[in-house]
Amino acid sequence: MMKTSKKMLWGSISIVTILLLGGAGNALAEGDPDADPPLAPLPLPIPTVPDNPITDEKIAVGKLLFFDPKLTGDASLGCGDCHDPKQGWGFNDPISRGYPGAVHWRNTHTVVNTAYLGKLFWQGNAKSLEGQAPTANMGAVAGNGERDVMESRLRQTPYYIKKFKEIFGTDMPNLGDAWMLIATFERGGLTQLNSPLDRYLNGDESALSETAVKGKELFEGKANCIECHNGPVLSDGKFYNLGVPRPPEWEEFGMNAITFRWENYAKGVREEYYREWKDDAGLYYTSKRKQDIGKFRTQPLRYLAYTPPYMHAGQFFTLEEVVDFYNEGGGDNEFTDETHGFNNKTKILKPLNLSDEEKETLVAFLEEISGEEIRMPVPQVPPYAVAPDVPGLTQAKAKSIGLETYLSAVAQK
Amino acid sequence: MIQKFPHWRRPACRNAFAIAALVAAVGAPISFPAVAAGDHPAIGPLAARKAPKASLVEMGKRLFFDVRISGDGAISCATCHSPTQGFTRQTDKKDKPMALSDAYPGTRHFRNAPTLLNTAYKADFENVGWGWDGHMGANLNDVMRSEITETMILNMDMRLMHERMKQDPVYVEMCQENFGGECSSGRGRKALVAFLETLVSKDAPFDSGKHSAAAKRGQTVFEGKGNCVQCHNGAYFSDGKPHNTGVAENLEIFKDPLRHIAYRAVITNHGVPKADMWRRDVGYFLVSKDYADVGKFITPTLRELKYTAPYMHNGVLSTLTEVVDFYDQGGGHDDPLPNELQKLGLSKQEKQDLVAFLESISSAKPVTVEKVKIPEEYQPLPDWVNVHN
Repeated sequence: MMKTSKKMLWGSISIVTILLLGGAGNALAEGDPDADPPLAPLPLPIPTVPDNPITDEKIAVGKLLFFDPKLTGDASLGCGDCHDPKQGWGFNDPISRGYPGAVHWRNTHTVVNTAYLGKLFWQGNAKSLEGQAPTANMGAVAGNGERDVMESRLRQTPYYIKKFKEIFGTDMPNLGDAWMLIATFERGGLTQLNSPLDRYLNGDESALSETAVKGKELFEGKANCIECHNGPVLSDGKFYNLGVPRPPEWEEFGMNAITFRWENYAKGVREEYYREWKDDAGLYYTSKRKQDIGKFRTQPLRYLAYTPPYMHAGQFFTLEEVVDFYNEGGGDNEFTDETHGFNNKTKILKPLNLSDEEKETLVAFLEEISGEEIRMPVPQVPPYAVAPDVPGLTQAKAKSIGLETYLSAVAQK
Repeated sequence: MIQKFPHWRRPACRNAFAIAALVAAVGAPISFPAVAAGDHPAIGPLAARKAPKASLVEMGKRLFFDVRISGDGAISCATCHSPTQGFTRQTDKKDKPMALSDAYPGTRHFRNAPTLLNTAYKADFENVGWGWDGHMGANLNDVMRSEITETMILNMDMRLMHERMKQDPVYVEMCQENFGGECSSGRGRKALVAFLETLVSKDAPFDSGKHSAAAKRGQTVFEGKGNCVQCHNGAYFSDGKPHNTGVAENLEIFKDPLRHIAYRAVITNHGVPKADMWRRDVGYFLVSKDYADVGKFITPTLRELKYTAPYMHNGVLSTLTEVVDFYDQGGGHDDPLPNELQKLGLSKQEKQDLVAFLESISSAKPVTVEKVKIPEEYQPLPDWVNVHN
């Protein structure tokens, strides 16, 4: 009886699998775990969420907010301080600088082309740019901002009061709308349109050099990068443990060790893991499934040349190091080497036996598709001003809205 | 005058407390100081407190001075409760006392930092309101948590404090000695409470009964004609309740955008309606949401006044003479809400005597502690890979 049900179950799964794969129009080679959508130009128009359409005005105000330190705890840093236009809209230290008096524990992602991502952060735990921004601005080792103060700062800034009213129709800025504007700037202002890869894939064969084209062939063939780095953003949005080694910072610097422990606690691991783990468990913090320990979201590869160092804690400084790492079939960490009694390393990685020349062409491809750098000067952010008295407020009106004593306070000025 | 209290703030039996304090302080037989008509506890000397374990006090003292228990590592408890300033107020870059502390960077606070001296006695009150506006605090440990985590104060994540303590070998040793285990933020708060227990008045002339003749005359005014004792009573010289005395607004709060930001944020966070509209400090309204409580503030202790100028919740009065004049005139005018005071008609001599009395309930010498030196950086832990976190 038991056997029959099992057989039936497996039968159904096979049928579903065949149907799914058939629908995708891809025949899988032996050993290939999933279908690999081909590299593709970034689809247009730029995607956004239905309630936050992209407009030029919103991009402009969102840009100011992106650089405005008002949206963090002590107003000393804005989004642009960890996502620096001069550092590929990321941060060129292995581990992000984080909040003053603290340090982050992962490498900063670039903001460029994030409009196309459905899972943000290395853990994939934000599902939209609107959701990502407050998480970054409020985390204790990132922005450490508190909603009340951040919103109050917006409400003390006449320019924002005016612009938020024009855009959202509110008398006073609401913090939630600030995240909408920042997301709009990221979509509308930091999408790299018409990159060499897009031009090439749209039929312009001169967009990539001969070497880069060879690199592309390797990427899609012998090196099998396309297994995970596929589709328009060169990421399948899935999670893998590649055996990237533990970064040295937690061991070498006290401040980093503090953040490491804090993150493990804050992300809700049980005490046994808090005590014993010495590495970042990635997707596990979201899913709490053992098979997800040490897995990170496949990194999109556009704009890569401007965003060193690489991997979730900036373990590799150059693309050459990255290619070497994959050429050797990835590495090992405590979540792959049975330190804790299991091995979560992906089966996809195998030694590639690339020649030096092949490695160079692969790097050339990755560099060339990075295209032109998006640079822009950091704008002056709008200043605070003394809030005006409420105009036309009579004693009677004050009483009707519960401000009986308002006028007497003004009278003392 | 009938006060409206939420359920957690029913008037407590403070007579019992004051008597107990007196018993503890002077032992039997007790002679009560003259008490003006009214249902308030008598003023008197502070009861002696049992000293907490010295090593725990040391740990608390170190935390008190440690800027690393603030979010961005810029300020410590001692910044706004400076030991060189009577554990009240911040000093500016030129070491000049400020009426309103700046508190956490990126904002500026909108109230006068109260002294921490004798706070341990306030904690003995039942259901007492904390801060100037009377917000709730279950006990000193709880109040400590609130001060450490509040956005305008230290803006610190409790677990981050926990992990920072675990990274500092001095705290690791202190926690081992005091608690027989590893550091935690809770243990840190216990240590801070222990330190606070030691911040008490010392050798106040009034407490030893050796105050001057002028001060003794002032005491008569205090308990009689001045009727100060109506609210400033018990050994702590406070009824712990909210009152509106019509203190003028410190409009600096609304002229300085950073202070207005902080003020709006706090009242927003506490659910005060029309937070963008207010151009005055709502005081106890923040807690009660009863418009009759707008402008009420919790009666402060009068101990250590000599060392804790400026005065009032917003620091608008600079000297004790100004304070006494203020009350002599029946307080400020807060239309249309009536304040609770009446003109006193004190003579010049009576006012001087009252000031002398107020000074006599301050410590003979300023109470202070030596600053603790703390390294700015955290060191890596030896053999980190192989030891348990």
